[in-house]
Amino acid sequence: MSNKDPVKIGLLFSDSGATSTIGRSQLQGALLAVDDINKQGGIDGRELLPVRYDAQSDPAMYARLAERLITRDKVNVIFGCYMSSSRKAVIPIIEKWNKLLFYPTLYEGFEFSNNVIYTGAAPNQNSVQLAEFMVSNFGARVYLVGSDYIYPYESNRIMGELVQQHPDSKKLAEVYVPLTADFKHFQNVIRDVQAKKPDFIFSTVVGDSTTLLYRAYAEAGLSPKQMPIASLTTSEAEISQMGANIAAGHFTSAPYFQSIESEANRSCLARYNAGFGDLCVPNMCWEASFFQVHIFANAMRKSGSDEIAAILPFVLGSEFEAPQGRIRIEPSNHHTCLYPRIGIANSKGQFTIVREARRAVHPDPYLVTHSLGDWAARIDNLEI
Amino acid sequence: MERVRRRSRVLDAQAPLKDLRDIKVLVFHPDNQDGLQLIQQLQRIGCQVQAFWPPLPVLPERTEVVFLAIRPDALDVNFEWLKTEDEPTLIAVVDFENPTIVEAVIKANAKAILPLPIRTFGLLSTLVVARELNVRMKEQQKKLRKVEEKLLGVQRITEAKNILMRMHGISDADAYKLMRGQAMSKRTTVEDIAAAIISADGILSFEK
Repeated sequence: MSNKDPVKIGLLFSDSGATSTIGRSQLQGALLAVDDINKQGGIDGRELLPVRYDAQSDPAMYARLAERLITRDKVNVIFGCYMSSSRKAVIPIIEKWNKLLFYPTLYEGFEFSNNVIYTGAAPNQNSVQLAEFMVSNFGARVYLVGSDYIYPYESNRIMGELVQQHPDSKKLAEVYVPLTADFKHFQNVIRDVQAKKPDFIFSTVVGDSTTLLYRAYAEAGLSPKQMPIASLTTSEAEISQMGANIAAGHFTSAPYFQSIESEANRSCLARYNAGFGDLCVPNMCWEASFFQVHIFANAMRKSGSDEIAAILPFVLGSEFEAPQGRIRIEPSNHHTCLYPRIGIANSKGQFTIVREARRAVHPDPYLVTHSLGDWAARIDNLEI
Repeated sequence: MERVRRRSRVLDAQAPLKDLRDIKVLVFHPDNQDGLQLIQQLQRIGCQVQAFWPPLPVLPERTEVVFLAIRPDALDVNFEWLKTEDEPTLIAVVDFENPTIVEAVIKANAKAILPLPIRTFGLLSTLVVARELNVRMKEQQKKLRKVEEKLLGVQRITEAKNILMRMHGISDADAYKLMRGQAMSKRTTVEDIAAAIISADGILSFEK
């Protein structure tokens, strides 16, 4: 069948609300890939046509718009969601209509749906590495602070457990602030931090309030050299919001940083900067959102159809030269083999990468008990 | 620190989750799409899984959990391995819920139900809750057995005391002292002495 109709895909991210900064970057990552693909003649001559909605960081809106994409816009594949609550809201819709969701976000694991492809990091691809690094460089007395929802709870459970495998470890506090927390919340947290004097702070604060935590820290005159903040979610995007001087010296664990020295990354960033300018700040979620559209397009070239039954066999096991390295969709659990890295924020608002995995680390979303040391054999220590 | 919420965590609740990667799980389910999905999800969770159909008469050693398909064509749950002291956690996999099937599920002493078609979501919780339930039930059975023994012992001691009080015209406290002295010198328990007194009294009464 020679079909020249455009291929409609759904893009469901949040352009407004509490997580709009990252949501916008995920949208831009997807649009860059769409642009790449269409410039190369689309999918066998068929143009990729994104249909996009702003889910406003609201799970109910995500569910409603997912259904609208499927029933009204007739898309078979949706790229989207950021917070776990948004993914959980969309999955029943996706499963009901038997469509496919690509989810470009790190999350807490313990999920598998035959209708979802997970392209962000599972805890065994970011938390273990971060715990290992922080404990060996700063000590094991940790202060946990997070946004008040499921991802931080589970991330903190894992981090607390990992850190406590170390002798002389202590969990000094586990504190949660609302997603819409204001500056005062974080001043209170920092005051408590000053009283408890941890070796490091582990933050799972997400969204636009991230800035406030780092600002409260800086205003209290604390030094990242002695007591840095370690995070899985603070990316270049959040740093551009708070300012490079406020972020400098703090650590983030992620599979992607803009500073990765690879041809794929350089050319991807160059294309983005040339075509889209300053609509967002590229970060780990931008990159996942970018490469997953390519994974889809490559699979559809082989299947000729974007119906889940036809395309899924070509998505599973497929590989792509992503900006972070050559990634692979693991067929057994639909998650992605990724490259864990640790970065320290520098004065330019970028990350200086201090450790990185030599080979892709297999996703293990159902791992209950993580162990310190798991990753040690597989990393390069890039510190001077 | 007002307006900042602290979560207190029940650490013990994690204990049954910790050894999921070490447990041996047996799946007795026909070799079809549901069976395959069940096995794949158990493997994702990280359990050691083996699958057979029809069910085996004898379980491999150290089997901790059994998923058993109870179907209209496989209603017989009269397995020897279900009657042992050390029975594994049984989770019934069902595609009907008419009274015939439900009765078989009850008879098999299932700790949880897994309805077909298999959904990956929920299997982990079902597995963990069923295992925990099995462990608690076994602990309670053990405790109950101990309490029953204890109760029987107390009844015997009271009866033996009454015999001694009647025979020797002594007080309740003295009767107990007498028995405890005997138990200590014969290096046995007061319960055993009480049993001996009761049986001796029975024989003596019979001779009268």
